[in-house]
Amino acid sequence: METIEKPAAGGIVVRKNGAQGLAVRSAALIRRGIEDLSRESNWTRKPAFVGKASKVALSSHGNVCAISAETRGTAPRVTIYDLHNSFGQMALAVPGETPALAKHLPASFAWSRTGSYLAGAWAAWQPAIHVFDLDGKEFTGAFGKFQKLPSHVAWSPDSVYIAAATIGGKSASLRLWASGLRGAPPMEDAPLAQAGLPDWLERQTYEAEFGEEGAFHGYGNTVFSPDGKRIASVVEIQGEWADDAILIAEVPWLRRVQSFQAQGHVSDLTWLAGGDALVYCAASRAYRLDFEPLESQQLPFDAEFCVAHPTLPLLACYTSWQQDSAKGHLFIADLRTNTRYDECEADGVVEIRWSEDGAKTYAVSKDGMAYIYEPDFL
Amino acid sequence: MTQKSTDLKPLSASLGAIAKPEERELALKLEEHAAIQAELAERELKAEDLRAELGAFEKQYLHHVGTLYAELDELKAQIATRRAEANPRDQKAKSFACDARTRAEETKASAGEKSDVAPRSFEATPEMKRLYREVAKRIHPDLASEAADRSRREVLMAEANGAYESGDETRLTKILTGYEHSPEAVKGDGAGADLVRVIRRISQAQARVVELDAETAKLLQSDLYKLKAHLDEAKALGRDVLSEMAAKVAEQIARAKSQLDKVTAMR
Repeated sequence: METIEKPAAGGIVVRKNGAQGLAVRSAALIRRGIEDLSRESNWTRKPAFVGKASKVALSSHGNVCAISAETRGTAPRVTIYDLHNSFGQMALAVPGETPALAKHLPASFAWSRTGSYLAGAWAAWQPAIHVFDLDGKEFTGAFGKFQKLPSHVAWSPDSVYIAAATIGGKSASLRLWASGLRGAPPMEDAPLAQAGLPDWLERQTYEAEFGEEGAFHGYGNTVFSPDGKRIASVVEIQGEWADDAILIAEVPWLRRVQSFQAQGHVSDLTWLAGGDALVYCAASRAYRLDFEPLESQQLPFDAEFCVAHPTLPLLACYTSWQQDSAKGHLFIADLRTNTRYDECEADGVVEIRWSEDGAKTYAVSKDGMAYIYEPDFL
Repeated sequence: MTQKSTDLKPLSASLGAIAKPEERELALKLEEHAAIQAELAERELKAEDLRAELGAFEKQYLHHVGTLYAELDELKAQIATRRAEANPRDQKAKSFACDARTRAEETKASAGEKSDVAPRSFEATPEMKRLYREVAKRIHPDLASEAADRSRREVLMAEANGAYESGDETRLTKILTGYEHSPEAVKGDGAGADLVRVIRRISQAQARVVELDAETAKLLQSDLYKLKAHLDEAKALGRDVLSEMAAKVAEQIARAKSQLDKVTAMR
């Protein structure tokens, strides 16, 4: 029964015909109140999805891309969850592809800086990079031919380039494509540039052949510099006690500019705002790597994942181990004072991301728990 | 045949054994109609109670907390503007300032102007509930079978909803008596036509009951209801969560003011 509209105090229109009219204009304020209510600190904790996801990727808008099978017997699917809206879900489908029932297939996904595009490769699809336009809600296309699925995918800040890193010893590569978006050349299977077996890399053990301890394993975590002119990629080395290296190459030709030997296996790396240094995490410790001169300095905190603030000298970090605590911790590190603050207990975090404006940090664990850091001011 | 009201009464007692088949059927349908009329009135009352409670709570929330969010977002927009002005070449700062201003305007529009008088929570007296049930039974638009009558009932029902929400018992009584004394309330005759009419009314009333159930379920799932339920639970334990929320936002406002002073001083 639609009967009347009348202005209530505060200018809110309360439509008498029911739920859809009530509180429509105040909905955002109500949701904000609920979020603030559950906030014990600057961190808010909320479930993002049910079940364990084999792979997750976070966007700068708080969207989580996760591969999950919510029910037994159903095929895993790629789903986008909105951390700001519990009801906002979208399943991604590639035309002509029917995902297999098999779980925990390798995958790699990456959001563009603005969160408008998602690029990903998943063993349940054809071995190519698939690009989705999330604003237009459409599948844009696929490109690249892979014998081994990319271990890591990355977007340039302007969304013009996509890089994909693969492992696999001699055949491993770091490749770069034009995305076909925002004035970039159209997508093609052949990459614009490719870096293969690094000839600058010294073998860490000399008696072994490729594929054994100390040999080149492939390219891992890869990130573009803030201006998009360089790319940093982890050069993975075989063996439990081996030290990975970090390659800095120019975009788009992937010519080596610098390279650096880290201490242990590198689990994450991030460019600092300004692009004159990066921070990497190796063997659960955080290091700052300056380029001029090329110099690494251990930071006074442990971290397995870290992401730099887009404009300020801050890091959002996660460590699964902390003295006197059975739980892992998310925290903010201030690189001006090398101090950590705003800690939050968290388990199994696998991805962290700052919002585009740097006002929030999102983190998500593999079992679907999301953490949102939203301080009053930074 | 001019019957337009809903107050058709069961005829079974007066008809007795001499009733024609259509009159017997009409008597049965009138009993069914009376039952659905009562059920509809009850559901309508429950739905209206929920709407009114949530509407009143929304007003309270916006008065106590929403206006503070508007103040906070305004300060944040001013801080972002000052930062952008201090770094005119920084396009990101400019874009953030623009976004912050948009958000501040949106929050202000949602929260509205703070009134001098704090809104009250909704609470209906038993007499108000009884009156509303009567109004719903007699005037409900879904009990009308002609377009003109329906329109008139819609207007009256809207007035009744307004009177119920504002706790205006006199106005509610006036709406009820006004309708009962109107020419449209005069009953007509003709069992065949009455039978068709009453069947249609039953069908309309059943459809409305389904609609009301869906509407109520949706309201119960809304963020507004969740927040209210949380606050009601806390209230039962002696906590005034609305005031606590307002205090939290007030703290943020204090920090924002201090930040604005710093940014202004740096210029």
